Amino acid sequence: MNNTWVKYGSYFVLIVLLQGLVINNIEVNAYLNPMIYPIMILMLPFELNAIITMLVALVLGVSVDAFSNTFGLHASSALLVGYLRPILLNLIKPRDGYVTTLLPSIHDMGKLWFLIYASSIVLIHHLWFFTVEVFRFDLFFHILWQTVASAFFSIALIVIFQYIFYKSSKK
Amino acid sequence: MQKLIQFLKKFRDFFIFFVLQVFVLSLFFNSKAYHRSKMINTSSGIVGWFVEKKHNITKHFSLEEANEMLMAQNAELLAQQPQSFYQLQGDVFSVNDTLRKQHYTYIPSTVINSTSNDSRNFYTLNKGRAQGIKPGMGVIADQGVIGSVIDVSDHYSIVMSALSDDSKINVKHIANNEYWILSWEAFDPEYGQIHNVKRDVTFEIGDQVVTRGGDLRFPEGVPVGTIAEVVSEDGSQTISLKIKLAVNYNGVYHVYVINNLMKDEQAVLEQNALERE
Repeated sequence: MNNTWVKYGSYFVLIVLLQGLVINNIEVNAYLNPMIYPIMILMLPFELNAIITMLVALVLGVSVDAFSNTFGLHASSALLVGYLRPILLNLIKPRDGYVTTLLPSIHDMGKLWFLIYASSIVLIHHLWFFTVEVFRFDLFFHILWQTVASAFFSIALIVIFQYIFYKSSKK
Repeated sequence: MQKLIQFLKKFRDFFIFFVLQVFVLSLFFNSKAYHRSKMINTSSGIVGWFVEKKHNITKHFSLEEANEMLMAQNAELLAQQPQSFYQLQGDVFSVNDTLRKQHYTYIPSTVINSTSNDSRNFYTLNKGRAQGIKPGMGVIADQGVIGSVIDVSDHYSIVMSALSDDSKINVKHIANNEYWILSWEAFDPEYGQIHNVKRDVTFEIGDQVVTRGGDLRFPEGVPVGTIAEVVSEDGSQTISLKIKLAVNYNGVYHVYVINNLMKDEQAVLEQNALERE
């Protein structure tokens, strides 16, 4: 139990610092605004209930906000995916249900399942993020482009992060 | 009964989600409306510490560019020194100047964190209240206008750049003194906009636009940009201008915060005049 808290706590700090100090500084153009921190929400245990997921997402979002001077924008998007994650997990459940000793990672659940899972979460997150940030309906196609381009980049970062920092929990 | 409990459980999650979401969104939109916020940002405590540490590593990456810019500026300043003028009269430079009084002083500072791809963009500077920076002060760089200070802590300050959708800067055309308001519409960091330009004003593409002065933030004549394009709409009484901004907002490193020594005097006078109306 204790060990688990330490593990998730250090991932949290690592991910927030990575997002705040490194990835926030990737400024290719106005369409590319990659974010890696949704991986923290993605990697929470399967059986975690919605309320705790939302609280983790809220604290995560506020921390990232502090580094980006956005006062609630990241918190709002993280909260949304925190709420939707248990519902989504239920929708894409494998035939035999989830094995609670496994993690929702690319190693444990396979490439296809993980890509479907991660891209749904990231797309919802980015769409909400850019819509709230811009908040102008005449820029709808701009928002859409921003979402798709950034999501592509974010998912790539998330997959790379998985291969570097996570191991398979089978055996 | 089972189904009812199931339903209530689902509804409870949604209710908590809804309350938190409304709270967070109201924070976000309020921070937009009031320009500044007492919430945590990169000027505060532990986040500021991390940002400073990052800056200590990354500041070396742009040294070459910064040096070139500083040398160019030094050369320009040297040219204005008394010793670079030929003295026509022996006592010209020894006159005790009673005609001029110091109006602006400048606090040099360094950008340690920045954003430039959002619809409102910020810089974090490594100087704050301890060095005399206050909210509302203007900020310029060598090439032109940067923005204004919106929040300070003891050792850091947050600057809202001119690339923000609610930034308004009083500018004027350098040749005919017509004055306008420069605004910025999201996502193109190279161009700003001027709306409500009268059709009978004469100007040419490429003319320089500078700050107007007198708005308590910037002295007169700081470069803002050049006129790049005229946008006219059918049936409208006025035209709009597209302004090529003078500053590359991605590459700002050394900046000067402007302290207007006569700010209070002007503000009080203007306030009195308004109240008398």
